[in-house]
Amino acid sequence: MVNPLEVLDSLDAGVLAVDRQNCILYLNRRLARSLNLNREEWVGRPAADLARVVAPVITSAESFESQLLWQTGEKEERSRDMEWTSGDSVFYIREQSRPLRNSSGKIIGRVFTYHDVSREKTVDQMKTEFIAVASHELRTPMTSIKGSVDLILSGFAGEISAETQELLEIAQNSCDRLIRLINGILDLAKIEAGQIKLNPVPLDLREVAERSIRSVRALADRSEVTLTLDEGKDLPTVEADKDRIEQVVTNLLSNAIKFSPPKGEVRVELKTENAWVKCSVIDEGPGIQPEDLERVFGKFQQVGDSRRKGGTGLGLAITQALVHEHKGRIWVESKVNEGSRFNFVLPISPAKS
Amino acid sequence: MPTILKKVLLAEDDPDIQKVAKMSLKFAGVTDVLVVENGEECLAVAGREKPDVILLDVMMPKMDGYEACRRLKEDPDTKNIPIIFLTAKAQQFEVKKGMSVGACGYLTKPFNPMTLHAEIVALLNQAQKS
Repeated sequence: MVNPLEVLDSLDAGVLAVDRQNCILYLNRRLARSLNLNREEWVGRPAADLARVVAPVITSAESFESQLLWQTGEKEERSRDMEWTSGDSVFYIREQSRPLRNSSGKIIGRVFTYHDVSREKTVDQMKTEFIAVASHELRTPMTSIKGSVDLILSGFAGEISAETQELLEIAQNSCDRLIRLINGILDLAKIEAGQIKLNPVPLDLREVAERSIRSVRALADRSEVTLTLDEGKDLPTVEADKDRIEQVVTNLLSNAIKFSPPKGEVRVELKTENAWVKCSVIDEGPGIQPEDLERVFGKFQQVGDSRRKGGTGLGLAITQALVHEHKGRIWVESKVNEGSRFNFVLPISPAKS
Repeated sequence: MPTILKKVLLAEDDPDIQKVAKMSLKFAGVTDVLVVENGEECLAVAGREKPDVILLDVMMPKMDGYEACRRLKEDPDTKNIPIIFLTAKAQQFEVKKGMSVGACGYLTKPFNPMTLHAEIVALLNQAQKS
């Protein structure tokens, strides 16, 4: 039978356990070695003492202490990255903590693990640089192309024939599409690299839906589509980023409008379902073939008529990624020739204590 | 702020964008569009010409837009000239950085040449109010 402590000592990650009084119960060999500590001396001592030893090598000593002295009865899991210095080199440590429970499930303290994530951080920085460079390098030539075409079409360079105008309008539309595509690719790259910063606030989805409806009103009018909002009763708030959730609803709405028949209706329905607020965007369009349902959220997976509708093939992928970033879920239900219903749910804001 | 700007200084190293921006501003009625290719030239011309506004690209040779903006705001001769970034750097943190060095507005490329002047005037009015 293997000794579990030997297993912990063989890990290439630091492990620390504290009791409910924040005294050290255990630290594994990796952590002791990294901090140059004699662990026998440390068991039973307050974790605050350890925080003081660590302070010189960590850039945010105060926050290390505050986290370590976390109320150990807390049920939450926590994770954060810290910058450590050792000699001339800087490395990044990811600290994760969760309650320490005994065999009957009672919380008896807290357990912390420490992983070196320096490599991941370097890759993240490279991705950030790539996104910044790609964004800049693609936008610069697009600015001249679009600018020149727009100016000629405006009559700035003299009168143009109907044929020239038609050809330039094709170029203009393609430019706009390319710009949308560039923005979409960069948006998605940022989300996938974990680089969008959400600003979660208590959010009333009814207000979000109303704003989104306003922003697509002109498109709906042009397509003779009626927009309605079924706002549900006593809708609780969700904890979410206002602009990003508006982007989600607006994208679902503009898709629904694009696929609606003239005189059709697009409905937004909001309701509470258990611990979630559910938002559905319902259209009377051609529907999605059952075999395509799985892939509508994929990148560049335009199904049915969507390429002809001027889509970039990224809208739903971005929408899905944004919902996932909010710890929500998104899915579609559809019947061919009857319409589609795109649903997403977001967790209800936790009650204030 | 006048409805039509008289003198605009554009710091931009891409010759095609220089032309498009210049034409767009002329089209809107701006009498004088001065063009420079980098931050250093921008400092020299701004002090001499005192334009109504400076449109500043970020990525330029010799001196980038951030540094140029900082210096223009330090110099008593140029610190009151409003600066607007006109750049392909469109990410949130880049916009924040631009505003933190003293610009009063931020426009991203690709810009719409038909509305560029109106957008500049709107940003200047907004900055004057706040």
